[in-house]
Amino acid sequence: MRRGGVARYAAMIALAVLALLPLYWLLISSIRPAGDIFRYGGRFSWYTLIPGRLTFENYAELTRGDFPLAIGNSVLVSVVTVVAALLINSMAGFAFAVFRFPGRATLFILVLASFMMPFESIVMPLYTLIRFLGWTDSYQALILPEVASGLSIFLFSQFFAAVPRELYEAGRIDGASWWQVYWRLVLPLSGPTIATAALMQFIQQWDAFFWPIVAASSPDKVMIQVAIARHANMETANWGGLFASASVSVMVAALPFLALQRYYVRTMMHSGGK
Amino acid sequence: MRAKWVPFAFLAPALLGLFLFRAVPILLALGGGFTGTGLTGETSFQGFDNYTSLASDPEFWNSVRVTLVFNLIINPLQVVLAFLLALLMAKPGRGVGALRTAVLLPITVSIALTSVMWNLLLDPAVGPVNGLLRSFGLAAQPFFHSQGQALPSLIAICTWRGVGYWMFFMLGGLSAIPPEVNEAASIDGAGPWRRLWHITLPLMRRSFGFVLIADTAANFLLFAPVYIITAGGPDGSTSLLMFEAYRAAFTLLDNGRSLAISTVILLIVAAVATLELRFFRADDVA
Repeated sequence: MRRGGVARYAAMIALAVLALLPLYWLLISSIRPAGDIFRYGGRFSWYTLIPGRLTFENYAELTRGDFPLAIGNSVLVSVVTVVAALLINSMAGFAFAVFRFPGRATLFILVLASFMMPFESIVMPLYTLIRFLGWTDSYQALILPEVASGLSIFLFSQFFAAVPRELYEAGRIDGASWWQVYWRLVLPLSGPTIATAALMQFIQQWDAFFWPIVAASSPDKVMIQVAIARHANMETANWGGLFASASVSVMVAALPFLALQRYYVRTMMHSGGK
Repeated sequence: MRAKWVPFAFLAPALLGLFLFRAVPILLALGGGFTGTGLTGETSFQGFDNYTSLASDPEFWNSVRVTLVFNLIINPLQVVLAFLLALLMAKPGRGVGALRTAVLLPITVSIALTSVMWNLLLDPAVGPVNGLLRSFGLAAQPFFHSQGQALPSLIAICTWRGVGYWMFFMLGGLSAIPPEVNEAASIDGAGPWRRLWHITLPLMRRSFGFVLIADTAANFLLFAPVYIITAGGPDGSTSLLMFEAYRAAFTLLDNGRSLAISTVILLIVAAVATLELRFFRADDVA
């Protein structure tokens, strides 16, 4: 390996360690007995990094409660949201990037403004609407308000606007409908953008906390962050349970990242190999 | 031969969703900023009263100042770091995928949990970060418990969580640059710095525009760490506007004032985002 290559790997590994150390602390704290969690923090020793005594009771406890249900609910809500969101937001992004139509600038500004208002301030009107529709405590209450996303439309429109216009025109001259241009020509070129938008909306739903509490508080609709947060409140904290559930949450959420990583590497090697 | 309805057919599903679940609630919230709640709990129209009362409130102005300082530092910092990280990690190689995933992982910890975790890690007494400092013979730091260190600590933990995520968007932008462009410049004798300045950066303007605007919106709307760790303190040093809006609604029980602060946040984000769009000329979409 060249010297530059060694330096590059050293930098990447150092940054990865910096990112992972707090998560490692989360993980080892989750397998320490309750009395040991904060014991080695203030005075640094090997035991700060390596647990002396181990317990998996926190994890056993998780399997006995509603935590598996919470993971299932969050996976379901996140996946359905991402699939529906990719379709409708990429369509809207395509329209903003490709067409010139009356009201376009105004609509685009409204799309941007939609993610600039604090969610907390629209929660009550949104809840009133969901109740009016009869959707309280339902999956659609958790999913539908998060599908259309101004940020995702913005992302897609930026990418589609960078695609050379000749490509669209060529498709049209060949007799393709606009739908075929979008579906057969443009989407297959948009791999990394689709991956990024998917990731963005997955994280949005995986981290959802406030809205699930308001809109779907029944036990059978419990979402993962709500289940995690129940281990701690203002008075008491079950740190072991909190850290164990948080560690599981990170590991499950890492799976789509790993999947998308492979996809990213492939597209980049493909373009690099030309 | 373009049918007039075609663009609207592509827009309809997403815009219907945004209209119902964002535009309508936002309009109601904006309207709520012009109302007040009486002693008996009834809501009445108050005109600009909430805004005039905010304008003469030094705590509100302190919060505006803290919010602007916070954003003026954190947004450029995260965008630049994300770009440098993406440059470092763009080239494929053995283990690069795993290393990229490692720096992305912090975003999978929710912002509330990030706050709880870092509050413990940076604790003056039992926190391992101070334990490490002490083991090097350095003085323990107060972090969130000091007026001078609270805001920088807030910036640090949000950057820990966010920068790998924003790197992902930058990687997408870098992967869209045709390699021939760089190869051609290389053959013409352009060194790495010139290629970065004259080829990569101009071609990355859309990615920069997107990341900066998305990051700006996320950071102006940041709430959980202030609520969980500092409650705006010490001495108002982390009193972000989002926390003031929360305090107005839940401590002062003044919903009109809370919604007025939310409206101020929306206006500031919109103004800043407009400047950012112009700066990166990413607005040719609009």
